[in-house]
Amino acid sequence: MKSDLNDSELLRSMLAGDEEALSVLYRRRQGAVYRFALQMSGSKTVAEDVTQEVFLFLMRDGRVFDPAKGSVSAFLLGVARNYVLRRLRVEQQLAPLGDDFDDDVPVLHASTDICPLEDLTRAETIESVRRAVLSLPSKYREVVVLCELQDISYGETAEILGCAIGTVRSRLHRARALLLAKLRPAAEAEDADSATVKSARCFA
Amino acid sequence: MNQRFENDEEMLTRGLQALASEMKDVEAPEHVEVNLLKAFRARQVVVPISTRRRTSRGYWLAAVAAVLLIAMSVVALRWKSTEKPAEALAGREPQKGRVISPRDETPKPVEYQAVVQPAQRSIPKRVRHPRVRSSESAQLASPSEIATDFIPLRYMNVASLQEGGQIVRVEVPRSALANFGLPVNMERSNERVKADVLYGVDGLAHAIRFVK
Repeated sequence: MKSDLNDSELLRSMLAGDEEALSVLYRRRQGAVYRFALQMSGSKTVAEDVTQEVFLFLMRDGRVFDPAKGSVSAFLLGVARNYVLRRLRVEQQLAPLGDDFDDDVPVLHASTDICPLEDLTRAETIESVRRAVLSLPSKYREVVVLCELQDISYGETAEILGCAIGTVRSRLHRARALLLAKLRPAAEAEDADSATVKSARCFA
Repeated sequence: MNQRFENDEEMLTRGLQALASEMKDVEAPEHVEVNLLKAFRARQVVVPISTRRRTSRGYWLAAVAAVLLIAMSVVALRWKSTEKPAEALAGREPQKGRVISPRDETPKPVEYQAVVQPAQRSIPKRVRHPRVRSSESAQLASPSEIATDFIPLRYMNVASLQEGGQIVRVEVPRSALANFGLPVNMERSNERVKADVLYGVDGLAHAIRFVK
């Protein structure tokens, strides 16, 4: 069974011409690559293109992968990062947050435990966080996407980005500070609105 | 203040976790996989691994063939260059209608023609210096004649003489010898004396010698 093989073995088989190995490897790793590209670019089109480019690169130049330097997963995300940054440089636009992304917003699962108002608040929170992440400079955005959203360890993130773990930590710290600065005005405005409503009620 | 900061951090962490959980099941559309598999099949058909090895071998074969071709060309050129003088000795006629480029054309020999002199002699092909030595002058003139060296009439460009020229036998008044610093017998100054005038290809007289 191909699914029992690890990523390196699948890659070797794929390079030897095994189509099934490519299929298994793709299904195993495409989600992370696609999500990373989507969270970095905010565009479904870019994310699809990047995913395709990454696996085409693997078919063409997969021999450059060195198991001693890291995992296949980290290798794929590193390639995806390069493609995303190149694409963003070409398009000269960072996460327009237009209709393209709105199509990708996952449908919020209705929960019987959460009341509709809380559900709406949660959706708004997610949307504001997403906007804040997309507005970060790319070097801070990528550490947030990898460490916070993809839940990848600092060590593996350092492999993907090709930098030291300390750099990852400091960038993440700075990125969180920037996110807080971006999200705080919105939260304060919400607080102000609720205070106004309360006082209005009291006044009434 | 510290409490607020902790609250903000907690709020941010919760927001990021919510965003991550919302997107954890997001995957690439199916058509991406379909396109990739198509590309993979096409790639396997176009460039199989065994062919790549052959291509590498073919590269070396092509390189060796190129080196051999260059070596053969060099040998052929050398052989041809050694063959040319032999052909020239054999007196091969030049092909008719062949366009001769200025580089191919051998320099024309300088022809010296004695107009008045009855017996024409073979003339050296090139004049490297306008001043003809006495021994050479003796050869140009008939054996019974004595000639001076060629005396330049003006500033001469030696290169123009190498391209060709003509010697014309003339007669000048004996008094003309004085113009070139030669002694003149005043009693015979009315007589004429023979002289060879050297004309260049530009049609100008470059030198003169007196013949007795």
